[in-house]
Amino acid sequence: MEKLSFVGKSLPRKDALIKVTGRAAYADDREFAGMLYAAAVRSPRPRIKILSISDARARHTSGYVTLVTYRDIKGVNKWPVVMQDYPFLPEKEARFAGETVALVVAKTAAAAKAAARLVEIKFKELPFIDDPLKSLEKDSIKIYGKDNIISSFVVKKGAVDKAFNNAAYVVEGEFSTNYQVHAYLETQGAIAVPEPDGGVTVHSSTQCPFYVLDAVAAALGLPYHKVKILQTVTGGGFGGKEDVPALVASHAALCAAKTGRPVKLIYGRKEDFQSMSKRHPGWARVAYGADKNGRLIACRVKYVLDGGAYATLSPIVLWRGTVHAAGPYKIANVSIETYAAATNKVPCGAFRGFGQPQICFAQESLIDELAAKIGMDPVDFRMKNMLEPGDKTVTGQRINSSCGLKELVGVVRKRSGWDKKKAEGFRLKAESDKARGIGFSATYYGVGLGAKGRYLDRAGALVNIYKDSSVCVNVGNTEMGQGALTVLAQIAAETLNAPYESVRVEEVDSSKVPDSGPTVASRTTLMSGNAIIEAATPLRGRIFKTAFNLLTAKGADFSRPMVASKGAFSMGGKTVTFREVTAECWNLRQKMSEQGWYAAPRTTFKMENGQGDAYVIYSYSADAAEVEVDLKTGVTKVLKIWAAYDVGKIVNPRLAMGQAQGGILQGMSWALYENLVYKNGIMVNPNFTDYVIATTADKPEYDITFLEKPYAEGPYKAKGMGEVPLIGVAPAVANAIANACGARVRLVPLLPEKVWKEIRMMKN
Amino acid sequence: MPKLIVKPSSLKELWKITPALPYKRKYLSGGTDLVNISNAGADDSDCWLDVSALTELWGIKETKSSIFIGAAVKISEIENSVTARRWLPALIAAIPHFASPSLRNMATLGGNAANASPCADGVCALISERASVWLELKGKKRKIPLTGLFLGPKKTALKKDELITGFEIPKWKHTAAYQKLGPRSYFGISKAAVAISADIKAGVAAKVSIALASVGPVIVYAAKTSAFLSGKSLVADVISEAAELVKTEVSPITDTRSEADYRREMCGVLVSRALQGLT
Repeated sequence: MEKLSFVGKSLPRKDALIKVTGRAAYADDREFAGMLYAAAVRSPRPRIKILSISDARARHTSGYVTLVTYRDIKGVNKWPVVMQDYPFLPEKEARFAGETVALVVAKTAAAAKAAARLVEIKFKELPFIDDPLKSLEKDSIKIYGKDNIISSFVVKKGAVDKAFNNAAYVVEGEFSTNYQVHAYLETQGAIAVPEPDGGVTVHSSTQCPFYVLDAVAAALGLPYHKVKILQTVTGGGFGGKEDVPALVASHAALCAAKTGRPVKLIYGRKEDFQSMSKRHPGWARVAYGADKNGRLIACRVKYVLDGGAYATLSPIVLWRGTVHAAGPYKIANVSIETYAAATNKVPCGAFRGFGQPQICFAQESLIDELAAKIGMDPVDFRMKNMLEPGDKTVTGQRINSSCGLKELVGVVRKRSGWDKKKAEGFRLKAESDKARGIGFSATYYGVGLGAKGRYLDRAGALVNIYKDSSVCVNVGNTEMGQGALTVLAQIAAETLNAPYESVRVEEVDSSKVPDSGPTVASRTTLMSGNAIIEAATPLRGRIFKTAFNLLTAKGADFSRPMVASKGAFSMGGKTVTFREVTAECWNLRQKMSEQGWYAAPRTTFKMENGQGDAYVIYSYSADAAEVEVDLKTGVTKVLKIWAAYDVGKIVNPRLAMGQAQGGILQGMSWALYENLVYKNGIMVNPNFTDYVIATTADKPEYDITFLEKPYAEGPYKAKGMGEVPLIGVAPAVANAIANACGARVRLVPLLPEKVWKEIRMMKN
Repeated sequence: MPKLIVKPSSLKELWKITPALPYKRKYLSGGTDLVNISNAGADDSDCWLDVSALTELWGIKETKSSIFIGAAVKISEIENSVTARRWLPALIAAIPHFASPSLRNMATLGGNAANASPCADGVCALISERASVWLELKGKKRKIPLTGLFLGPKKTALKKDELITGFEIPKWKHTAAYQKLGPRSYFGISKAAVAISADIKAGVAAKVSIALASVGPVIVYAAKTSAFLSGKSLVADVISEAAELVKTEVSPITDTRSEADYRREMCGVLVSRALQGLT
């Protein structure tokens, strides 16, 4: 392999300086002349019939400008996301507490908020559903279609009933997981600025500017070329800024269209909790069967997600969960049935892991229970059944050579001291209330959108080299804190042999690059990276040829090969810089700007039976967690996490480490603490006082290893990384708790109250 | 936040201007509770009276028999006070569990008490130290036991416009422990917490006072358990008996933060750990 100058190096983040010095301009930091402010009027109850909306009292507020309702929508009142069931503003019925029913525009943000509180919604309460399992019952009231099912999938393979009958060992269990809130530092926000030609420019904090483009164009009834979306520096996403920023931006745009003035709409934390997307609560009943030799032969899964009031991304989240529901194992007989059920609660959508963590918690917990029943070490049991190159997944997809799962498990086993610690079993220290335990998990993760999202799985890039040799790159995927600007700049620098400092990747401008799909599914490095390479490759050809000619003209010995490294070209004792070469290219009037495009290869998955290639490529992880459980209080402290990942080539090791540590901590936080509570259809704790997330004081020690299994199709052999570290944490922690004290808790979060109850039940 | 925030520079000025102010008014001290309540849309005051410039509410003073802590003293100031460290071991033990360093730089004991939360770490510790509270209304002062200030969650015995000016804690030789069970390692509201102050001589607890947070409508002073322990030597049997007894003195509820039966049991665990910490 050629020696790389920029890829594989821990180069400094492109956005580090503006962020640490506070100069980064987030949505709320932008100001425009004559700007007005919007605030949402929200439904107070889980399900209402809207009788009237009146601003009679609100209009007395000083600075009040206007009320915006569905009547002000010039386009179609349907947010164009997946199922198109979510109106921009409801006309007759609001389906969850917190849903935006109307908007108030005023001269200050405070006036808008005050006036919004005074808008009167006259309504009639309708019966509602807050439990997804009840929602699926035959005699439930119907709030969504004929059966309350937003979406449903299957994977059918082999003869499942027969295999269970023949199994020597069978385990079955019910598991559930609660919501997770993205807790991004920057709440949702957008500014819409009307343009003189009737168009609009929208500044949006978003992961997916092209979803915002779709929505704003639809709401305003404008052609796409009159709508421009500029992504602002985005203060965290984690999936929470995938779909819903399009709704927020559309609301701002409706207000701007009505008033003819720029309108800023920034969410407060409470309304962000109440109305923006969340990780779906999940429920699953899983059964595994193994033969007498400890070989997995059967798996049956019923998996239900609480979709909330509208579909949003539920179908795609559910599909990912469906495909991965049996775990990274070879199993001949599989039946997976999954449902996204409608409830009158906040619509759930994307969150790092996207439908996988919930079911992974269930199946990886149950794998431990099965190993225990067989009397095998849980790691040995996993090793025996694990997918390896050449094996087929439960959807019948053959795993290619970029699969290091078995090695990952081996690495984690060794580094964690698994065999010794596991052998010690329940390690009660004499006269101590604390017990330590260790737990394991293994996962796989389909990179990119896969078969269900294949129409969106393409990306564009524009690479432009200026006369002074500085390089500007436009892509359609976003920086949201994960490091995309940096990693993509490294890929551009590497391909062009341009100095890293001279490359700038810009935040997305929807008018500069074609629709590149969403920035989700750990796809940005892979998709935008490949698009950049495609754009940069012809430029590279010109630059390298010109460099060779310049060196030759300088009298270099051209019998020797030319070496391009770190922004310089050398041959036979002579050197020219990237700057000199590009200047010469410009002198020669060569084309110094190119577009690139990358479309993911085809997938063969069939929705009818869930068979075929689901994703183009998979990333892998293995986790071991060591915990200390306080036997008197049930409090679990995660002491250390050993993790190993195969995410292909690592473009920037320091950023990859950050992604890994952040993912582990976010996964641990979900596993142990995060508990969003609804009571009678109303969210009870929409704040960080009572919705508790891990702090750095809860941070475990990390031991992280990357095994770089090259992926031939990836940019410099990279796969995808963002979501992988979160997925396996919860089951590893749950398994460690069971190992420490025997308490098998089947509910996430693994609250002390639940662990304590299990311990008490075992004593009695 | 109300449009009118008034910041008098002395108590005299406060009592002079108060009658002319809008009727719906509240005192603002560190603002760590009030500003949050206001941001959540749950405060309808027309006026806030900022008491942070009232010098009468400042300072930690020592007399022959008592320690006085002004109501406007920041928690971080107490944390660093030599006097507090010498005489108020329960409060000092509680402070690391009190919110976060940045909030402790703003928050005050007066605000902690006025907010009347059954979870208040500072109040819980002060009750175990047997504190009284000084109140003032239009120049008239009165002193009541701190336990008497609280009538229920967010409800106090304060009269309209009556102001907490400070806390008086008797000087008594004691050691103390603060045990808190929160939702995470650090920085959270307790599911249950206990403060124990005890004068221990040669292994015998001469005088014990136990207060518990988050397990009743107000901070609970565990009178029976305190009395039971007084005069006893803190051996294992006594400790476990006290841990059982304290469970009969609390009345926890199930809410988003925890569950009633768990909280009740935890009172026993925390009391026994706190007592073990004393010996």
